[in-house]
Amino acid sequence: MTRTSLSLRNPYKAAFLAWLCPGLGHFYQGRTGKGILYAVCILSLYFLGFVLGEGKIVYWRWVHPFHNPEKFCLHYIGQFFVGLPALPALIQGTLSYLDIRPLFWGFMAEPPQNVINGLHPRLGKLVEVGTIYTTIAGLLNILAIYDAYEGPANPELEEEEQSPLEAAANPPEEAKLEAVKAEGSA
Amino acid sequence: MMHVYWLVLPLVVAISLVYAASRHESWPKIWWHAARLCGMLLGIIVVTTAVLLLINTTV
Repeated sequence: MTRTSLSLRNPYKAAFLAWLCPGLGHFYQGRTGKGILYAVCILSLYFLGFVLGEGKIVYWRWVHPFHNPEKFCLHYIGQFFVGLPALPALIQGTLSYLDIRPLFWGFMAEPPQNVINGLHPRLGKLVEVGTIYTTIAGLLNILAIYDAYEGPANPELEEEEQSPLEAAANPPEEAKLEAVKAEGSA
Repeated sequence: MMHVYWLVLPLVVAISLVYAASRHESWPKIWWHAARLCGMLLGIIVVTTAVLLLINTTV
């Protein structure tokens, strides 16, 4: 398949859908296999991390990153790119900032400080592993979003995967130049 | 009980597959690239861990 024959449909919509749910943008483009691969890898990594941290490691609080770096949730910047599965944390964080009661019994709301402090002694390394899993899942989805928007990053496949008929119809630039030089010298 | 170090495996596999899929469109290339990347990442992790262990036990 060449890049020109690869239909990306509406790349902006595909990228948005890919952010909203990993793999969804590729399903929209008809690239079902890749959609399944992205969805399985990214979502399983995210939910495995979420479970390892007992659901207390994905949360957001609105604080200034320079004035209050200790409270700033840097990990959520990565987790945010998983899309819908991490979005409740942003909503709960915003509600908390506006002094509105959290929704859904505080699901993915910022846990009280004593709960956060109690995670490490109780779960040990699993809290760190869970945070890494969920953050990396979001960062990996950035690659998937870019793939939905722009297509695969490796340009070599255009030439290698052309059929002989396509290659004859669209010769590479160097071959064209050589042909022009040969005509000139003759 | 499973050692926490085994949790590096799903991470490395997921990173390899997603990265390879973002580079290629054909499945043989995706699988091959992912397998190579997975091996390389695990190799680097194992060698680094071995060197750190060596240093740690000799200090």
